[in-house]
Amino acid sequence: MNPRTRLGLVAVGGTGLAVLLVAASLRLPDFGGDSHPYGDRAVRESLARHTANTIASVNFDQRAFDTLGEMTILFAAVVGCVVLLRQTRDEHRARPEPADVAPPVRRYALIVLPIALATGLYVIAHGQLSPGGGFQGGVVAATALHLLSLGADYRALERIRPVGLYEVGDAVSASAYVVTGLAGLVGGTAFLANTLLPYGTFNTLSSGGTVPLLNAAVGMEVACAVVVLLARFLDQAVEIEEESGK
Amino acid sequence: MNGWLLAATVVLGGGLGATLWGVATGPLRRRVVAQNLSTAPACTGLILLAQGYDRPAYVDLALVLALLGPVGTLVFARLLTDELADDPPRARGVTWAAAALAAAVVLALCVAVGPSRATAKLLLVGALLIGGNVIASRALSGGIAGVRGG
Amino acid sequence: MADAVIVVALLLVAGSATVAVLVRDPVRQALVLAVLGVVLAVLFTAVQAPDVALSQLAVGGALTPLLLLLAVRKVKRRKGRER
Repeated sequence: MNPRTRLGLVAVGGTGLAVLLVAASLRLPDFGGDSHPYGDRAVRESLARHTANTIASVNFDQRAFDTLGEMTILFAAVVGCVVLLRQTRDEHRARPEPADVAPPVRRYALIVLPIALATGLYVIAHGQLSPGGGFQGGVVAATALHLLSLGADYRALERIRPVGLYEVGDAVSASAYVVTGLAGLVGGTAFLANTLLPYGTFNTLSSGGTVPLLNAAVGMEVACAVVVLLARFLDQAVEIEEESGK
Repeated sequence: MNGWLLAATVVLGGGLGATLWGVATGPLRRRVVAQNLSTAPACTGLILLAQGYDRPAYVDLALVLALLGPVGTLVFARLLTDELADDPPRARGVTWAAAALAAAVVLALCVAVGPSRATAKLLLVGALLIGGNVIASRALSGGIAGVRGG
Repeated sequence: MADAVIVVALLLVAGSATVAVLVRDPVRQALVLAVLGVVLAVLFTAVQAPDVALSQLAVGGALTPLLLLLAVRKVKRRKGRER
């Protein structure tokens, strides 16, 4: 296929897509209208279960099974990354050279690290109350750990980051989500049904039944997954070298 | 539309528009400075939006951005050391202008909110934003000297 | 008039997304992507989706640039070795 036919094909496909998109958006309800059939039902259900943040209620209660699928996707992606980016037989590890970081940057990293870690945990813990939740908080907490590599160097990060432990943590927290779901099944209702725990007082940390538990499981899973993922990337970029002559 | 939303629109449109122009054109040293400076208007814009919509919980967004924005710039500063070593970016003026904008907005909001836990959070966001911006700017202009490895 | 924030955010998203496509060098693209992430977060906040905005900030703030730059560094190192 020469470039011209290819371009023509793209033009035909693009025009078709554009026409369909425009036709579809003409039939959409008006922007900012006040008829929200799904939203009204979701808000009613989340208020009935004392969950202040409706999004958390949708993610971890009303449609918790979808979130299980999303978590599995992340888990599978990280497993795939670990397999693809492993050290192969014709590669060796070079010791990373120590980095020389300016004192203000080092101080900044060491001050911000605990604040960022605490913010990550805060976002996870307040998932059922305010915007946030396991995914967002987990990413923030995992990023916080990598401030050590920015403030000092990669070797300092390696000392506090046993990757094997984080891989185990990833698997354990993914199973914790499933176990919480099974508990609902054993407790007499359905898989991932939010019926086991008391709903608590509205707008407090312990409200929402199983929502905080599932949030915590996802938070730990995401934090471990990001740490493992970044560890593989950093290994490849900083340490692993191909044998010379290859 | 209240005054806070108007201020947010102006800050976001002007500030982020300018940084978008900066990051889209010119040599690499100008682009990294623009990326660093995108944090300040976005973060102040988010605080103003939180106040304008009367939703204090939205300040969490600004908090996360104030924490992670400068970290992103430090990542660029660390991994692009070689490319930036030949002609390091100098952006003292714009950096302090961004810091002044952040300080002014945070102070105005503190006055509007009155002393409470929300004020403490706002001050934390402001301190993190200004500190991070200044440090990241220094790191870009050669604060991290001779870094090799990771 | 109340939708002015949304209009501004949409324009910024359209602009930065176009720039991200037009810039060819991966390093500069990473810089544009970082700005695009921030702008997207602002748009999500303006349309009252703070949870999505927080996800975007968390991932786009430091994680995406770090992954991209590490990949670029690995590829460059391999190229330098072959030369």
